[in-house]
Amino acid sequence: MPYRRSVLLAALVAGGIASPALAQDKSQVVLCQTLEPTVLDPTAGAAQAIREVTYGNIFEGLVAIDRAGKIVPKLAESWQISADNLVYTFKLKSGVTFHDGTPFTSADVKYSLERAVAPDSKNAQKWIFTPIASIETPDAATVKVTLKQVAANFLYGLAWGDAIIVSEKTAAANATTPVGTGPYKLDKWTRGDRLSLVAVDGWWGGKPAIARATFRFINDPQAQLAAIQSGDCDALTNFGAAEALPTLKADKRLTVTIGKTEGETIIAMNNGKKPLDDLRVRRAIAHAVDRNQVNLGAINGTGTPIGSHFSPAQPGYVDLTGRYPYDPAKAKALLAEAGYASGFELTLKVPPPAYARRSSEIVAAMLGEVGIRVSIENVEFPQWLDRVFKNKDYDLTIISHTEPLDINIYARPDYYFNYKSQAFVDLMKKVDAAVDDKSRLALYGDAQKMLAEDSVNVFLFVLPKVTVSKASLTGMWADWPLPATPLTDLAWQ
Amino acid sequence: MGFAWYRHPGLVVGGAIALALMAIAALGFVWTPFDPTRLALPDRLQGPSALHWLGTDHLGRDTVARLMVGAGNSLKVGLLSVALGLVAGTALGTWAASRNGSLLDEAVMRTNDFVLAFPAVLTAVMMVHLIGPGAANAILAIAVFNVPVFARLARSAALQVRSRDFVLAARAAGLTETRIAIAHILPNMAGLLVVQATIQFAIAILAEAGLSYLGLGTQPPAPSWGRMLYEARTYMQTQPWLAIFPGAAIALTVLGFNLLGDGLRDLVDPRARRART
Amino acid sequence: MLSFLARRLAGLAVTLLATALVVFVVLEILPGDPAAVILGVSATPETVAALRTEFGLDLPAPERFLRWVGGLLTGDLGTSYGYRVPVAQLIGERLQVTLPLAFAAILLATLVGVPLGMLAASRPRSLRDAGVMVFAQAGLALPDFWVGILLVLAFAIGLHWLPSGGFPGWDAGLGPALASLILPVIALALPQAAILARVTRSATLEALQEDWVRTARAKGLGAAATLYRHVLRNALVPVVTMLGVRFSFMIAGAIIIEDVFSLPGLGRLMFQAIGQHDIIVVKDLVVVFAALVVVINFLVDIAYGIVDPRLRRRA
Repeated sequence: MPYRRSVLLAALVAGGIASPALAQDKSQVVLCQTLEPTVLDPTAGAAQAIREVTYGNIFEGLVAIDRAGKIVPKLAESWQISADNLVYTFKLKSGVTFHDGTPFTSADVKYSLERAVAPDSKNAQKWIFTPIASIETPDAATVKVTLKQVAANFLYGLAWGDAIIVSEKTAAANATTPVGTGPYKLDKWTRGDRLSLVAVDGWWGGKPAIARATFRFINDPQAQLAAIQSGDCDALTNFGAAEALPTLKADKRLTVTIGKTEGETIIAMNNGKKPLDDLRVRRAIAHAVDRNQVNLGAINGTGTPIGSHFSPAQPGYVDLTGRYPYDPAKAKALLAEAGYASGFELTLKVPPPAYARRSSEIVAAMLGEVGIRVSIENVEFPQWLDRVFKNKDYDLTIISHTEPLDINIYARPDYYFNYKSQAFVDLMKKVDAAVDDKSRLALYGDAQKMLAEDSVNVFLFVLPKVTVSKASLTGMWADWPLPATPLTDLAWQ
Repeated sequence: MGFAWYRHPGLVVGGAIALALMAIAALGFVWTPFDPTRLALPDRLQGPSALHWLGTDHLGRDTVARLMVGAGNSLKVGLLSVALGLVAGTALGTWAASRNGSLLDEAVMRTNDFVLAFPAVLTAVMMVHLIGPGAANAILAIAVFNVPVFARLARSAALQVRSRDFVLAARAAGLTETRIAIAHILPNMAGLLVVQATIQFAIAILAEAGLSYLGLGTQPPAPSWGRMLYEARTYMQTQPWLAIFPGAAIALTVLGFNLLGDGLRDLVDPRARRART
Repeated sequence: MLSFLARRLAGLAVTLLATALVVFVVLEILPGDPAAVILGVSATPETVAALRTEFGLDLPAPERFLRWVGGLLTGDLGTSYGYRVPVAQLIGERLQVTLPLAFAAILLATLVGVPLGMLAASRPRSLRDAGVMVFAQAGLALPDFWVGILLVLAFAIGLHWLPSGGFPGWDAGLGPALASLILPVIALALPQAAILARVTRSATLEALQEDWVRTARAKGLGAAATLYRHVLRNALVPVVTMLGVRFSFMIAGAIIIEDVFSLPGLGRLMFQAIGQHDIIVVKDLVVVFAALVVVINFLVDIAYGIVDPRLRRRA
């Protein structure tokens, strides 16, 4: 019988590989993700993969974001914000220790925040900390942070991976030998393939159900598909082969969830370069692109369409997807009005992610329909950063901006969109100063509308968070308010 | 005395495959059943049918049309990269032979050996990263590896020819080295070069497929077999034809030109023929 | 012999220095900044500059070149910008996958290719010969990455016999480690076996034509004995050459196969390093590969002497 023979052969050849028929070890889990973190210190790099492995597992911040996107207490048990919104007083949890046994105190918080805001800081999200004026530690369990000006998103920023609390003693070596306060510590790292975390004794939150977790890094979509189907992975985040989802959904052993991320995927346009400096041309391009077709062709329709630079998962989202309906005739008319009746040529520089590479072909074809001849140029990420992002040497590019609530990048001077709008800069200042939710969300709405009206970029969709897991594994995050895979949430049925 | 075709089955089969491919590629330039780059998302991922003989891909593009145009692209990359390598390598090899034993000759041949031994994939990947992906740059990267192959061949052939009487006579008559090379040496090694070119061509097709598979060769939306394979990987279980046909096209082309090269070698190189019989 | 060695060593040094210079200049021209890659699109220019300073990237190029080459001479390959660990450690870890992979593939290719080639040569133009040649042509024509994908489909997804990819590490036990190498080894070995079969076949046929073989046959030596004593040794010369060339190919040329099977080998490290602009790793790898190539060429020359007494006398 083929099956019996296969088991026999597997036992003979592979000797010890878990066959799917064997009972699941309920204290272990194998999680597969696309990219490998090169370091394990979220304060030393921007890569999403660092956060996927470490956030809430190895390292913890004062506060955290839960699976619904809400700010929840972590190392800070509670906090108070002064009436003028300038002083934040955190009451710290007691009985917390770092993995090396050092007790966690307010001095660690002061050290971590000051390190992040220092002139030689290598923190990728320094903006979180720049509003800080001073940090006081009245006692070991209290931290008082005073801000220079009101910063509505300060607490939210403290929940990011970039704001984790480290110990001065071990901070320098965290990249390779991370020491945090979290429930897990690094066990072993086979660089290029996998790393494993083990639960620590005496974590303040108790004993998690999963004692040992292995993160495997599989870049190739075909290999991902093979790994989940063969049972090598218990769960797979950010599955790259969306077109195989129907097959996986039909598999009773697996659960498939398609959630939202904060990754606004856009066709960025160089607003400072002819002919894209003409609003009519940018609007024509917006009308010429059918975002539903791009969504379907590039990621099998798993993305959520957007009409501005804002995630539908955020409160304050305004649906502007109807602002520029797909209308090639109107696009042509707008181009003619702008004096480009016979079209023109543009280059589209495309970074490596699959969604970008695939979208590029569809976008090029759609723009071709209205007379814009697009030549696609695939570039590696370092070259994209250098040529497109830093030197603004591009016409069009496709990229996903994955940081949550990053609409403020449009207010940055000299950002690569070359969008220079004082009105938008003023609006963002108002957002920062708006401390009550209602007015802040209204201002966010205005900002979204302004970007759509100015047709700064073509807004396509937010990337999905596609998770495929074994049916008996519970607790995987469906959405990604920020990139994370907290192991304490997981359990086998 | 007629040529006994049946004694050379490889040559015949290889030649037939090569000719058929060229015909398909040529046809692809003027006519394809569908526009190979036009999107038709409603028709995506269809299986083989009377309308789309080999089905459609994830953007609804017709596989037959893409294979036809892809044949042209593959042959173009193969042809140009081999031609570049052939011209540069032959010139280099003949030149080195004319200075046989000199330090220059030694340096050229050592560099040759090194490039030949250095992993081709690695250098091609590095080169394409430096000068950017695309068909033209893939041609250049593949040509770099053809240069030493032809240089080595041309050098040894030239050395043999140079010692023959008619070359000595020509030199005595006062002909320049360049004229000797063109008038006497090149014609005498043309056969060997053609054979090698055919085999290098097959290798170039494989190399282009590999580079395109890594996303470094022919750029979208232009169809390329290697790229089609890459795009098809995730559909292997549900739409296997997407990966089967480009893979088969690559294999068939390489097979055809290898057979052709082997067959030609038998005709040109009597030593090899002796070994075969 | 000593002067020969000295010349080879001098040649080795010149080759490596030239390679180092070329790759350094090439990576200087290639746009990109490892610090910018690490810090992403939200970091301020000042933050990026601070990281560049930490990496020593703000030093002038000639100084960086001298420091790097100086380090190489003392065996210090530097520290990876991305992983923040010594490059030597990274390469060492990857060699644990790449070397066994390359050795096993070469071994398998030899075990399959050489006997097949001799089998074919022992009766040229027979059905057996034709069968071997068909195998060889097929092996040459099928792209190895395509074969790899098919193997995964059949043996990992279809039959569940073997893992689909990845490498658990040698300390996960010999069984799982070897199991994860079986399919990539087959995919890598197939074209090599085809090449070897062809080379062995034609080399054997040529050797069979040589006068001393005919003499031996005429003297009444049996076919098997002739094959072993006279033909095999002579036929081995081109086979050994081919093995040498192929081995350096395997070390680096398995990039695509490593990608298909998600194996953490040297080729993928190279790809990854280029993708992250971890240029110190790229530079080191190229020099290491170049050194490997030169050393293997040297070893092949020595192997010639061993299998072919005529060459030994000449040397």
